[in-house]
Amino acid sequence: MIKRLLASCAFAALATGVSAEELVIWHDLGDNGIAWFDAVGQEFAKTHPDVTITSVSYPTDQWYGRVISAINTDTAPDLIYNNYERVIRIETQTENLADMAGPLDAVDDTGFLTEADLNVASYGGKMIILPIQRVQMGFGARSSWLEAVGEEFPATWEDAKRVAGKFMTEDPDGNGEDDTFGFALEAANPRDLIHMLDLFIFGAGLRHTLIDPEGNIVIDAPEHAEVLKEFLKTFTEYGYVAPDTINHSFAEMYQVIEGGRAGMFRVGDWNVKKWDSEALEGDFIVGEWPAHFDDKENAVVIGGMRGVAVPENSPHKDLAIEFAQFLLSQPAQQLALENVGAAVRDDLAVDDLSERRQYFAKAQGNLNAYDFPESLHAFYPELEATYHRKLLDAIANPPEDWDAFISQTAEEMREEAAKLSQG
Amino acid sequence: MIHRPLWLRVIAYAIAILVSLFYLYPYWWMLLGAFRPAEAVLTDPLRLWPERLDFSVFRDIATVGGVSIWRYLANSVWITGASTILSVGITALGAYALTRRPDLLAFKALRSGFLLTMMYPYMLLVIPVYIVMFKIGLLGTYAGIILFLALGPIQFFLFEQFFRSIPGEVIEAAIIDGASEWQVLRLVVMPVAMPVVATVTIITFLLNWAQWFPILVISRSPDTYTLPVALLNMTGELGVNFQGIMALAAITTIPATLVFLLAQRRVMQGMADGAVKG
Amino acid sequence: MSSMTPPVSANRVWVFYAFALPFAALTIIFGLWPIVLSFSVSLTKSATALRAEPIYVGLENYLSVLSDPIFRASLISTLIYTLASVVANVLFALGYAMLLHSTLIGPGRTIFKVAMFLPVVTPDLAGYAVWRWLYDQSFGAVNAFLDLVGLPAFGGIASPDTAMIAILIAELWHHTGFFVLIFLANLAICDRSLEEAAEIDGANRWQRKLYVVLPQMRPSLVINTVYAVIQFLKTFTVVVIITKGGPNGATNFVSYYAYRLFDQGRYGEAMAMASILFVIVAAVALVAYRIGDRRPS
Repeated sequence: MIKRLLASCAFAALATGVSAEELVIWHDLGDNGIAWFDAVGQEFAKTHPDVTITSVSYPTDQWYGRVISAINTDTAPDLIYNNYERVIRIETQTENLADMAGPLDAVDDTGFLTEADLNVASYGGKMIILPIQRVQMGFGARSSWLEAVGEEFPATWEDAKRVAGKFMTEDPDGNGEDDTFGFALEAANPRDLIHMLDLFIFGAGLRHTLIDPEGNIVIDAPEHAEVLKEFLKTFTEYGYVAPDTINHSFAEMYQVIEGGRAGMFRVGDWNVKKWDSEALEGDFIVGEWPAHFDDKENAVVIGGMRGVAVPENSPHKDLAIEFAQFLLSQPAQQLALENVGAAVRDDLAVDDLSERRQYFAKAQGNLNAYDFPESLHAFYPELEATYHRKLLDAIANPPEDWDAFISQTAEEMREEAAKLSQG
Repeated sequence: MIHRPLWLRVIAYAIAILVSLFYLYPYWWMLLGAFRPAEAVLTDPLRLWPERLDFSVFRDIATVGGVSIWRYLANSVWITGASTILSVGITALGAYALTRRPDLLAFKALRSGFLLTMMYPYMLLVIPVYIVMFKIGLLGTYAGIILFLALGPIQFFLFEQFFRSIPGEVIEAAIIDGASEWQVLRLVVMPVAMPVVATVTIITFLLNWAQWFPILVISRSPDTYTLPVALLNMTGELGVNFQGIMALAAITTIPATLVFLLAQRRVMQGMADGAVKG
Repeated sequence: MSSMTPPVSANRVWVFYAFALPFAALTIIFGLWPIVLSFSVSLTKSATALRAEPIYVGLENYLSVLSDPIFRASLISTLIYTLASVVANVLFALGYAMLLHSTLIGPGRTIFKVAMFLPVVTPDLAGYAVWRWLYDQSFGAVNAFLDLVGLPAFGGIASPDTAMIAILIAELWHHTGFFVLIFLANLAICDRSLEEAAEIDGANRWQRKLYVVLPQMRPSLVINTVYAVIQFLKTFTVVVIITKGGPNGATNFVSYYAYRLFDQGRYGEAMAMASILFVIVAAVALVAYRIGDRRPS
């Protein structure tokens, strides 16, 4: 017994230089994420008995500010965890994230990571995250409401519009009140509105929301314009969303979904666990986003990659990298799937999961991945923010002629892009 | 003057009652929201009495962001209590020194500097305070939070005003009798200052109980959050719990409400005095 | 220390410095230093602002802020909001204070005063969290009530046209108790005999209020107006909780916008905005005190 204790102490001392260490990781995954990192920490402790993992969850908007100021003041946590595009913003503001390419090479089996995964993880010639969880977002509809109005899960946009109309007029929840809406969307912040548009665009099988890899603005290309117009009309002319949607961000959108106010909504792979048991109590179907075009396959959207990054000034950088690598191991990935609903490995046990969770875990739908303009065009976030303001303004004060609005906006975006790309 | 027409009095009372309802109704709605399931509120937002008392929410908010609600409560009590005591002590001594000897070197500058600080947009002052806390090694500590909360304008004005009102002859007489400054403070000033100390203590407690932004900024983890900060963090990307927000809002509000109701006369008088001076 | 000064007196001086020391330390460390720091950060390149050797860029951040259309819109909406809030709060509080002070209200006055002052001591974040949901189109009591009494729905925080009014009302709920209190304190020291004399002279009620009472209210009007201007120029918490600057930027006030930039690591611009806002607040306060000090002829 004593011998083993001594041995493990010696091992820990060798591995890390100090005994009893705490690795701190900052994320925005809430209670699910905390449970996940707790569980992974216990697994990790099997080989690193003196290391404890402490995870702290911040609301997303606070997460940025905290990480940036902590890295800039040398008070960084050991690891940070978030969606790739958010980590890119950290890198642009701090230029102080460790290159994970070496650590990734040191991991034995990485065959499950695709070329696209690795592209997303890289920014400015550096691998800034180890990709840990693919983010899949499907389209959901309340099954009891579909039943109540005598409809099937909508396959095309025309179906979806018809269903939305019925959801609003036929009292699908049977409470005798005119208080239900077709869709739950969000629009308040740049990422909110464009994120919703992304889902419509990629879900319809198109490849770019605003700008293509060559830097061309695509919004007035016929198919893009078509989806964009329908998207904007959903907020305005059609009125399929709650009237205060313009001010909704994630929190409010979830309130509308979970409060049973809207019948069709985004379902992220991380939402399903909660909605299976509480809030929606399993009363929903997940599928692909509605099809807009006969000749394009509609899809579940791969909306990016969550991954782990290590600041250069992490207090225990080497150990932090070890833990980051460990997050790609089979046990850690299995825990990621169970606690947060997503992973990247293809050798995980999924049979015990609910049907809806398997839909994501086995990637049963058609998949269409984001084009990740952030990693190609450094000015993209600013361009997107300008685009957001244009669209939001149009939702607040709908123009007479949507086509004219779209072509005019496209021109303005071209000018803006030219301006931004120059400096 | 006393005998005003009845109809006029009825109208006056009607207006006062309506205005009071405007002030009080949100509290009642908050309490109802804490004890009614969210679906029930959706169906009937205006209901004035709960269908049944639903306590399930207290299980939901037993932990917020991975930290126990008791910890937030303990933090609130500790941070508010400690910063209040510190604030009263430090501000009283400072205001006393500045009123007794405004002629001393740098005292005028100190007073102006303090006033300048209080005029700076508070929310924007807090941001560079992050950098200061980092530089002096108090980032993420209770000490950092408590020290920052120990500075406030109304405390200073109330003390300054009070010390100015003490007649100079009383103090001079004590000095002529051979009292040291410390004795003057302890035996002459302190006994008469007790009421104003009590007033400032209660007001500081109420003000610091409500603080959230400095605590959010100086903290490095939820371990040092107080109840209001926990409330802020209840909405995240993973959804929002309406009933939980109402319950936590109620838990945050009730202690302040009780303290105020018990000391309402003193608090209102003190706030008015502090403002009139400032 | 000169030998002319008696030792006793020298001691007394040092005692006062000792008394003032903790207060001075706090003021310097947590007040003046951050202000100096925020000014110096406003002169640096954001990405280097927090590093040991920041790169100074002169007034570049100020130029970039002033040429930013969002900041200009933000500044304008801040000024409009401040003006509207000051007028609404001060008038409402003055009217309500006169009502509570009048002889029409006898028993129950304390209850009315407690009710009006309770929101002032309620943690603002909790109060606004409740208002945020009161305004909600689905949950909220506001529209449910309007619907009940047959009035048209209020856009509340959902519409860019009404969001400012919505947060104005929420802030009015939180702040007016304080303003009423100040007016009441002033009314209590008004000279009733002047009003009675005017009544004997045949002035009607409105004339008495306008020509006899109002001039005596000058001190509290000045205090409340200055307080309100400074208060509403710095509006922040209500925006964080209720609108997050939206919808469509309608409530993106300067404090909040600067904070958002800070959260994105754009420290230089955020602190430049802070300095600009500070200058405005200080100027307004100064002018208001000047006007307040001028006695009516």
